[in-house]
Amino acid sequence: MSSLTSALPPAQGTGARIARWGLYLILLLFAAYYLLPLLLMITTSFKSPEEIRTGSLLSLPRDFSLDAWSYAWNRACIGADCRGMAPYFLNSIVIVVPAVVISTIFGALNGYALTKWRFRGANIVFGMILFGSFLPSQVILLPMAQTLGALGLAGSAGGLILVHVVYGLAFTTLFFRNYYVSIPDDLVKAATIDGAGFFQIFTKIMLPLSLPILVVTIIWQFTQIWNDFLYGASFAAGGAQPVTVALNNLVNTTTGVKQYNVDMAAAMIAGLPTLVVYVLAGKYFIRGLTAGSVKG
Amino acid sequence: MATLSINNVRKQYGSVEVLKGIDLDLTDGEFLVLLGPSGCGKSTLLNMIAGLETISAGEIRIDQRVVNEVHPKDRDIAMVFQSYALYPNMTVARNIGFSLEMRGQSKTERDGAIRRVARLLQIEHLLDRKPAQLSGGQRQRVAMGRALVRDPKVFLFDEPLSNLDAKLRVDMRTEIKKLHQRLGTTVVYVTHDQIEAMTLASRIAIMKEGVVQQFAPPQEVYERPANMYVASFIGSPTMNFVRGTLSAEGDRLGVSVGRERSGFLPLFQAPEQAGHWLGQEVILGIRPEAITCYDPAIAAGNPALVKVACGVNVLEPTGADTITYVELNGHEVVARIKPSDRVAEGETADFMIDMARANLFDPKTEQRI
Repeated sequence: MSSLTSALPPAQGTGARIARWGLYLILLLFAAYYLLPLLLMITTSFKSPEEIRTGSLLSLPRDFSLDAWSYAWNRACIGADCRGMAPYFLNSIVIVVPAVVISTIFGALNGYALTKWRFRGANIVFGMILFGSFLPSQVILLPMAQTLGALGLAGSAGGLILVHVVYGLAFTTLFFRNYYVSIPDDLVKAATIDGAGFFQIFTKIMLPLSLPILVVTIIWQFTQIWNDFLYGASFAAGGAQPVTVALNNLVNTTTGVKQYNVDMAAAMIAGLPTLVVYVLAGKYFIRGLTAGSVKG
Repeated sequence: MATLSINNVRKQYGSVEVLKGIDLDLTDGEFLVLLGPSGCGKSTLLNMIAGLETISAGEIRIDQRVVNEVHPKDRDIAMVFQSYALYPNMTVARNIGFSLEMRGQSKTERDGAIRRVARLLQIEHLLDRKPAQLSGGQRQRVAMGRALVRDPKVFLFDEPLSNLDAKLRVDMRTEIKKLHQRLGTTVVYVTHDQIEAMTLASRIAIMKEGVVQQFAPPQEVYERPANMYVASFIGSPTMNFVRGTLSAEGDRLGVSVGRERSGFLPLFQAPEQAGHWLGQEVILGIRPEAITCYDPAIAAGNPALVKVACGVNVLEPTGADTITYVELNGHEVVARIKPSDRVAEGETADFMIDMARANLFDPKTEQRI
């Protein structure tokens, strides 16, 4: 940590040192507050049902076991279907990947068109798109159900992809528009004179400059869509349900003794992809969020 | 190599008229400088020539072809931007070759052209770098290279030197001039810097509020400004404007400044219309360098030189000259004096005014008489 340069002056004197340690203590408490539930989930998922009943809630597993994980993955019963979380995990991937890709591409195109090819009323259009990001997701449930029905997409993965693309566009457009505002218009003018068209400028100049905001958008969209429960529960039927809905059903439909270890393992499985994405691309996320705020 | 003609071109944004009928005609190989303060419409005009802005009325021709509706890439022009507008994600070589790439030229063709331009601008060693790794001057060269590579009919420069520091600006200015002499391509160059305009232009168009005030070679703009705006925009220190009355003494016309008899400054080669102004108020415009210390030997050989006695108020040495504020019959005027001739502040000395270089303006319309 000593290699990090701090904007704050070094602590000097006893009073300052006590204050500094007090600060660390508070930070530590906050960290524990957030990490404890995770720790609890992980340890519980590795314990046997016996141990959960007899042992303490916070103790580490005595007999480390992966049984609960494998059970949750491909044997647990979700409703009457006892194939575990695996098929639903796959459902989520089938929904999330295209939805993230499509909404990100269109968000980038929208942002590009709204900033570099300004047309009459561009600001009004942007304002209306922006308004979409303030809409509570419940508001669109009924109209969307009708629309999906009319399109013949009700209950399918395709329908859910459409819902997420449309709902996500407000956010992706906002991200890219605000990022592209900081890219000088002269680049587009120069490329126009050089002979590049609308899409060539987009693919050869704008997109290569968009890596930070691209990462932010992908993480954001991935997290939002993967974690979505409401639309998954409302618009996907039976076998097409995403992993979040399956988790809910798994926890709710267990009969007999509550298998906390399986519940915890299933919850971990459902939450793991977003965790992995954030750990892998997190630093770009922070970088991208602050990009453009300081001139480079 | 091309002619460029701009006929009665107008630009409107809603009800605001930014350009109010611009007429300019360039012959092949000319270097036109559009000069004016910010907001005078010079950059708008340049963008319209480039095709980046639509033309509200009038027409622009490049080599006799009306280009009003022609796409920028088909106008055979190249532009250098104030911000250079280099593509940050591409190497210098790809930046320079991008327009050729967009026109579907093969890699080998492109490489040849890129190398030729890089040699011309002495940036061969930079070809593999990214723009972020270049200094301001190097970026400037790359931006020029990008314009040069296509061998366009017309070059457009949009304040290309204003982001450089003072010394580099002078060097690049000379280089642009050399390049123009060598290539002989028609150039339109936008600037607000009068020195750039004077040194580079074959003709200057001075603009103000969307109207061309004067369109003439630099020396003519300097010596015979069309109006007081042009006269004060070009030259530093600016031209002295002295209110006086046009009067006659014997058979000579002159301008009387102040009440004293000594305030009569006879005109040398008075303009033809000057007779109509007899007895009326006029504004006499004198460049600072036309007022010098009195030297009998020089004055005897030149009838245009008029001797006046002036009190010296302030001296401002600049090294090459000493800018001297003197009192000319109650009007403070600026004179450019040789440092060796300097007179102490507060003293009165004899000066001479070169009336052959004097200008007369109408005090109401501010136009040249």
